[in-house]
Amino acid sequence: MSNIFAKAEPYLFLTPAFAILLIFLIFPLFWNIYISFHDVSFITILKNWEYSGWTNFVDLLNDPNFYTSLRTTVLFVAGSVALQFTIGMLMAVLLSQKVRAAGVLRAIFIIPWTISAVIAAFSFKFIFDYNFGILNYIFQQIGLQPVGWLSDPNIVIWSLVIANVWYGTPFTMLFITAGLLSINPSIYEAAVIDGATKFRSFLRITLPLLKPFIVINLILITMWSVNFFDLQLVMTGGGPLFASTTASLYMYRQAFEFGLLSKGAAAGLILIIINISVAFVYLKLLKR
Amino acid sequence: MNMNKKVSFTALFLIVSLIFTMTSGFVFPVSAQKKQVSLTAIVAEPKERWDLLFNTALQKLKQKHPELDIKLDYRVLPYDATRTQILTAMAGKTPIDLISADQIWLGEFAQGGFLTDLSDRAKTWGRQSDWYQTNWDGGKYNGKVYGIWAWTDIRSMWYWKDLLNKAGVNPESLQTWDGYLAGSKALNALKAQGIQPMHLVGASHSPDMWYPYLWMLGGEILKQKSGHPTKGTYWYPSFNSTRGVKALGFLKQQVDAGIKPQVSHFWGQEFADRKFAVMLEGSWLLGTFPRDQWPTINHKVGMLPAFPVPNKNTKSTTMMGGWILSIPQTSQNKDLAWELLTTMVDPSVLTPMLQKEGYLPTQKPIGEGPYAVKLNATIPYYKEMISMIPTAHSRPNIPEYPQIADSIKQAIDEVYYGMKDPKQALNDAAAKSAKALGW
Repeated sequence: MSNIFAKAEPYLFLTPAFAILLIFLIFPLFWNIYISFHDVSFITILKNWEYSGWTNFVDLLNDPNFYTSLRTTVLFVAGSVALQFTIGMLMAVLLSQKVRAAGVLRAIFIIPWTISAVIAAFSFKFIFDYNFGILNYIFQQIGLQPVGWLSDPNIVIWSLVIANVWYGTPFTMLFITAGLLSINPSIYEAAVIDGATKFRSFLRITLPLLKPFIVINLILITMWSVNFFDLQLVMTGGGPLFASTTASLYMYRQAFEFGLLSKGAAAGLILIIINISVAFVYLKLLKR
Repeated sequence: MNMNKKVSFTALFLIVSLIFTMTSGFVFPVSAQKKQVSLTAIVAEPKERWDLLFNTALQKLKQKHPELDIKLDYRVLPYDATRTQILTAMAGKTPIDLISADQIWLGEFAQGGFLTDLSDRAKTWGRQSDWYQTNWDGGKYNGKVYGIWAWTDIRSMWYWKDLLNKAGVNPESLQTWDGYLAGSKALNALKAQGIQPMHLVGASHSPDMWYPYLWMLGGEILKQKSGHPTKGTYWYPSFNSTRGVKALGFLKQQVDAGIKPQVSHFWGQEFADRKFAVMLEGSWLLGTFPRDQWPTINHKVGMLPAFPVPNKNTKSTTMMGGWILSIPQTSQNKDLAWELLTTMVDPSVLTPMLQKEGYLPTQKPIGEGPYAVKLNATIPYYKEMISMIPTAHSRPNIPEYPQIADSIKQAIDEVYYGMKDPKQALNDAAAKSAKALGW
């Protein structure tokens, strides 16, 4: 008996964590799948839910706005991840040098990440406003034409990328800083002795050793960018002409603005598949 | 010895507490005999109007029911959060006694089984004839009363007198489409001062500012049609008629005249800040000016109770919004909640709030009767705004309306950005709307 208990003991210690996972992750996922195969809306939520099969997915795949939202998501995520990673990496590397007040600078650069996303979104909404925004005011002062940052369908997604980069870069900076701190400095000393330049050391030593951190960071910021919709919801509502409606905002609007909960659930499932696929690709890259 | 003292003290304390508890009913006989009732409400911002209304109405309700200890707990939420919170509460069967619902939510809430049918109560109440017909009908769904439209707002044309004067624009000329476009051109010089001539809504509620043009031409957003796959006769999009195309054509003319659609909307603040010389906006615009400026605001700010019309023979119209008070099905105090509701919309209770906040009435005793004198003396352009109510229209309150509005917004955007002509844009929007309606 004590033998059985001894064997089961580690699993018993996992029970609380597993319970939390079950309640907050596994159950909602299966419930989401269930809803996506039934006709659930604000009108039917208190009534019997009819089984609808693949109807919600078919409706989704027949909705041209869904494809627009996927295209917009690709642009938003690609732009955000590329810039967040590049700028974050640059900031982390620069601040890891013997820079005066590096600690203070790091603390200042983290500030955007500590602000609520909704506050950041409202701030950028005012900054980018065509008539009242500080950016267009500066442009006009230096003789340039004002820009429709949030009103031009061709530009609006890049305005959102700028806001997302401002908001999310501190995380990359912190994450890469942690990675840089884990590298033994004596490796660089050995490289200097062997005649390696700083740039060569960065390419041949720093980047390879940072690879696990880089991949995990890319997975996280990609998934967060895919799921993020606060900025779009507050700054533009998804317009103009769906030009700033990402898949996550599309899902939110279907479920909570139009009351089509099962269609929103179907969109959510597709988003999960996208996220898992992205993570899979990154992990494959890590293994190489 | 110390221990004995402690035990004695504790025992004495317990005995005294027990005696107090048992006799408190005799010491405070009124409280003990009163039945405690808690009413809960979810309402939309701003908070001040609800503080005023609930405080007054609750006092009157308590006077009517001295046998009850009535408490009122109300949550004031932002607009979008109100709808989501109400839906979440209803879906979770949380007991709520009163809600404020936007008129366009009514069908969705009623069809979802969230609201109490108030038809019998309203009949017994007997005040139906006091309401303007459109406002009474706005609280009904499928012929049943689900809410009482408490107050309303209208959209009209506001302008800065000095700016129009300087540009030599006669405000009366803005009342026709041609005059409006000509006025815009004449006011172009203001752009150098950072002032846009005319405001054109490009935000999410742009359909609301297009509907008056559709209505004034005799068009409708939806019409009843037979042959529905499941409902027999149901609503069908009719906004893509020739009237709708003509109405959307006017928005296109404005864009072609250089009027830029505004994606961000600040609900009249941008007009108060003199960013626009002319703005079609709701009556709430007055709230963007300090109250002490209201008595003399007509010296600086003009108001035309009309949307521009295609020609002088066309009668203008406007869109009405406002708030409906309803009782959720989950309420456990429906009768008392109904009493609270009817007390809140009693002219003696409602008028001070309308006076303070600048809202418009939905009932004739306030709009035209003795209470109108008070409002007329306080709210600038009150008479003119009231004159728009009898000919104003409201939006459909069917469950599918949010999707239809979204399709229409897309059509408007497509015309704004030159991607489609009005006919194509509206036809595409009508096709999407028909699908949403189940056709």
